[in-house]
Order: sequence, then structure tokens, then C-alpha cells
Amino acid sequence: MSPKPDSKVILEAQGIVKILGEEPNTVKVLKGIDLQLQTGELTLMMGPSGSGKTTLLSILGCILSPTAGKLSVAGQATQGMTAEGLANLRRKHVGFIFQGYNLVPTLTAVENIMLALDLRDQSGPDAYDIAADALEAVGLGHRINAAPSKMSGGEKQRVAIARALAGSPSVILADEPTAALDGKTAWPSWSFWRRSPRTPSAPCWL
Amino acid sequence: MEIALDTPVKTATPSRPRQRSKRRSMPMVVKLAYRNLFHDRLSFAVTIVGIVFSVVLVAVQTGIYLGSEKKISAILDAAPADLWIVPLGTKSYDDPSLLSGRERHMALSTPGVENAEDMVVSFAKWRKPEGGQTTILLVGSEQISDKPLPWNIEEGSREALNAPDTVAIDQSYFPDLGIKGVNNHAEINGVDIEVAATTRRIRSFTTLPFVFTSIENSRRLSGAEQNQATYERVLLAPGADPQKVKTEILARLPDVEVLTQDEFRKRSQSYWLFQTGAGAALIAGAVLGLIVGIVIVAQTLYSSTKDHINEFATLRALGAGAGYIVKVILMQAVLSGLIGFALGFILSLGVIEAAKDTKLTVIMTPQLASTLFAVTIGMCIFAAISAIVKVVRIDPAVVFSR
Ligand SMILES: Nc1ncnc2c1ncn2[C@@H]1O[C@H](COP(=O)(O)OP(=O)(O)O)[C@@H](O)[C@H]1O
Ligand SMILES: [Mg+2]
Repeated sequence: MSPKPDSKVILEAQGIVKILGEEPNTVKVLKGIDLQLQTGELTLMMGPSGSGKTTLLSILGCILSPTAGKLSVAGQATQGMTAEGLANLRRKHVGFIFQGYNLVPTLTAVENIMLALDLRDQSGPDAYDIAADALEAVGLGHRINAAPSKMSGGEKQRVAIARALAGSPSVILADEPTAALDGKTAWPSWSFWRRSPRTPSAPCWL
Repeated sequence: MEIALDTPVKTATPSRPRQRSKRRSMPMVVKLAYRNLFHDRLSFAVTIVGIVFSVVLVAVQTGIYLGSEKKISAILDAAPADLWIVPLGTKSYDDPSLLSGRERHMALSTPGVENAEDMVVSFAKWRKPEGGQTTILLVGSEQISDKPLPWNIEEGSREALNAPDTVAIDQSYFPDLGIKGVNNHAEINGVDIEVAATTRRIRSFTTLPFVFTSIENSRRLSGAEQNQATYERVLLAPGADPQKVKTEILARLPDVEVLTQDEFRKRSQSYWLFQTGAGAALIAGAVLGLIVGIVIVAQTLYSSTKDHINEFATLRALGAGAGYIVKVILMQAVLSGLIGFALGFILSLGVIEAAKDTKLTVIMTPQLASTLFAVTIGMCIFAAISAIVKVVRIDPAVVFSR
């Protein structure tokens, strides 16, 4: 999908290298990645299991720091940032959909999303309605008060999607977003994306 | 690929209108904290038991301490004076020795003194009517001021003590003194006496029972000379400066100390609570209660934090600041503290109620209750430190290592 002319660069990576593991069993998982993502853009990444997709996404999401290379999110260079600075960046600009969903098991679907809103200081009286609407948008309007332990993989994933969308991040990083689903159910859960507006402020998807 | 788009979505989302919620919901930090707590019921129960134990132990020990203070100063509080003239080196009001006998006269001739009353306190031997002997503290006082000893009179009257060789004792001492009621006879230092009045809830801090009588009876029974007293209760004229009067009296009388009401109370209390070690033991008990509480809460909070470490890492990965996560942990600590305090306080009140008519005096005051509340919450917050240290160090990358 080609970016609109008025879209902005939201995420820029240069020469990202990541070495994982402890000496002497280190693995150079990423060997110099260059990448530029713009708002309103959908980028897909493919690769076999173990090829470093999760590692790259977590570096782009400022969760993991690269061994070498430069990363800037929303125009801010991440190099030398404190843990708090990185957390601020994640909160303000990044929506992450984890491969394992990582819902808070003690909270219901709607509460998981309210939590994400609360982190962004959107804890006003209509937080519940915003969260419920977000669930409805991913087709989970009927599972609002379900606990993660009572949900199927696909349902959990859709809650994770709704949570990433809450607080309107500039970039959404989705790690194997259709892994839990077969082809038939995968697409319906993503159809909301097709319906979302294509504006310069629309999030970038990877 | 887009063929299957619309139909399954419709079925997955029944378009029945959802009710708009207008209720104000609990803040997410509180919700998360209490869900974390109730998620692991057993460890929550252990936390609460630890806090309850701590609250009850601290409440009872402190209550006994305050009760002891009150018990020790009870006689002084019931018959207060502006200044007390006491023999030099007096440790407590129940450490009696005799003054010279000139004190009352000297005090009355000091400017600013309105009145002075003698008190003769002594140890004496009490022989029970049925045989057997015990030591008592004989307290003889005048009846000039409007606050005479004893107080809380049940049977008989203060006037009845003006008759020769009559005394008043507390009902709770009946078994110790071999007495069944008024008009019973016993012997003090070999002299036959009659119980002419009884009182309620006047117990000494020591094992020695108080026996109250008139000043004349007390002198005769203890062998003190005419005019001799152990203490002089000095009442000042309105507007007189206690410090000035104190200096004046000291200038006239050698070998005495002049104490204010508060000084005499404090001296008696600190003698019994600290010279004897009783107070130190009570304080040690309270401190022990606190330590046990802190250890249990710290332990359970730390392991609960470890159990929920993935959720905290997720929160961090979602962009939560360290402050947000610390708030959740602190909220867990405070919620535990609130629940533990409520239960512990109710239990403490039960213990205090049960101790009401025993020899133990346990006191609960609004101040003690609010201090106890603050200490409990403070204890829980202090106990949260190790969990907080653990949680702020979380690397959000932990979310991928599952
Ligand atoms: N902590 C680690 N230590 C050493 N190697 C690791 C560590 N974590 C991941 N790896 C390796 O890094 C590679 C990339 O992992 P990952 O990014 O999860 O791949 P993907 O998501 O594409 O399946 C894998 O070969 C994995 O074995
Ligand atoms: Mg992966």
C-alpha cells in the first residue's frame, strides 16, 4: 500500500543490529535493518519462525533496545533515553499487539481496555463507553465482561487489538496478528481496519 | 480475500443496543490492586492474618501501657494538687517516707498558697479476719478539698471514715483481704479496724491493695507523729505562679522536693514503667507486633508481586510509568492495611471489653485508635518497599520471554 503524499514519517530505523543470548552462545538475530514507516500506511512483514520478527517489533516498539543502530519514533531519537522516557514514548505513540496477547488475566475484556486508557490519562466517566465501543469495533460487543481465561485465542487477540487501538497511537505493531486464527475467522477480525479512515493522523500498521 | 468480510462480522456482533453506563467506576489502579489481592486468596488471607495479629498485639500492648499509666496515677488524678511537697528522693507516691512535720505550717505561710492538706501513706500489715496476713498500702487523707479520697464509693460514705479505726477498701480486693462487705473487721498493724466503706474499680498498679482511711486513723495506725505527713497537697490561690511558690517553699524547707501535679504523675509512672522494666516489656511487645506485621506483609506482597510480574511487565510494555506500577503496589498495601486494621481493631475492642473486669486495665482512646490506624497503614507501606524495588526494575522485554 503506498503512502499518501501528506502522511508523516512516524518510525525510522537505521542499521538495527540485535545480538541476543549470553557469551559465548550469542546469536546475531538482526543484522542491520533499515526501515521507514509512515502514518496511514500498512506494512506487512513475513519470515519463518525464529527469523527475528518479534525481536524487530519489540525494538521498533521501544520495548527492547538495539545492540547497534538508530531508531527514532515520532521524530524522537531513542538512543540514550531512560526507561521512563521510553515508557512515555510507548504510551504516546505505540500500540502493541503481542504474540501472546498479554491481557491482564484478573481484568475483564472491557477493563483491560480501560486500563490502557487509564495509562493515557483517559480515565474519565466515559472511559467505559469508549472501551466498550472499541470492543464492539472488533466484533466483541457481546463479550465485554468476559475474563481472558474464558475467551478463545481469537477473542483474546481481538481484545488485544482493541487495547492497542485505544488511545489512538501513531503506530500499531502487531506480532503475528493472525496466528491464532484460521483463514476464515482471521479476516473478519481485521475487517475493521479496512473500515477505518485513511487520514494523515491514521495509525501506521506493521 | 475480501469475499468473506461482512457476513461473519454481523453474526459476531449482535446489533442490540448496549446500555450506556453512567456510573462512576472505581479507578483502574484500585481495581487492579484489589483484583491482584483477591486473585490469590490464600496469600491475601495470610496478609490479613498478619496485619490483624500485628494490630491486636500493638493495640493491646499499648492499651495495657496506657492503662498502667492511668492506674499508676489514679490516686493523684483523683485527688490532685497544684504542688506536692514530698520527701527528698521520693520515687513514686507509693514509695512513702515521712516529712518532718513543719511542712503544712510553712506552706500555709508562703504567699500564693491557699490551702495545704496532709497525706499519710504507709505500708502496713493487714490481718484477715479468718487468719492470714498481707501487706497493704494505707492511704490517709484529709477531707478539706472538694476531691477527697477515696472516690467511686459504693457502700458507706467518706464521713464514716472519720470515726476511729475505720477504713475503706475496694470490692475487687475482698478476696485478697478476707472481707465480705462493710462492717467486717480486720487488723492493721495489730489494731482492730472496721470496713466502713467500699469502692469500685480502685486498684493499685502493684500487688499491694489500697486501704483508705482518715488522716488521724492513718497517723495512729502507722505510728506517725502529730502533724507528720508523707505528702503535702498544696492548693494555690487563683493567679499564683506555681514556679514562684515552688521556689519560695524550697527556700523555707530543706530535705524536700516540690513537684507540680504533672511532675509527680510522670515520676510515679516512669518509676513503675521504666525502673521496673514493666513498660519496656510492653513496648517491646508492641514493637515485636509491628515487626511481625511488617515481615508478613512484606513477604506476601513481594511474592504476590512476583506472581504478577508478567502483568506488571505488560503494563510497562504498554507504556506505564514506574509511578503507575508503584501506585498499584502501594494500593495493594493500603487496601490490605485498611481491611486488616478494620478486623484487627474490632478484635482489639473485643479483647479490651473482655479485660474490663479483670485485674488488667487495657485502654483504647480515640487518639490511640487514630495512631494505630496511621501506624498500620505506615507499616503496610513500609512493607511494600521490597515489592516496589522489585517492580520498578522490571524490564518490559520480559513479556517476550514466555
Ligand atoms: N534471549 C535469547 N537468547 C538467545 N537467543 C534468543 C533469545 N530470544 C530469542 N532468541 C533467538 O532469536 C531468534 C529470533 O527470535 P524471534 O524474534 O522471537 O523470532 P520470530 O518472532 O520471528 O519467530 C530466534 O532464533 C531465537 O531463538
Ligand atoms: Mg515471534
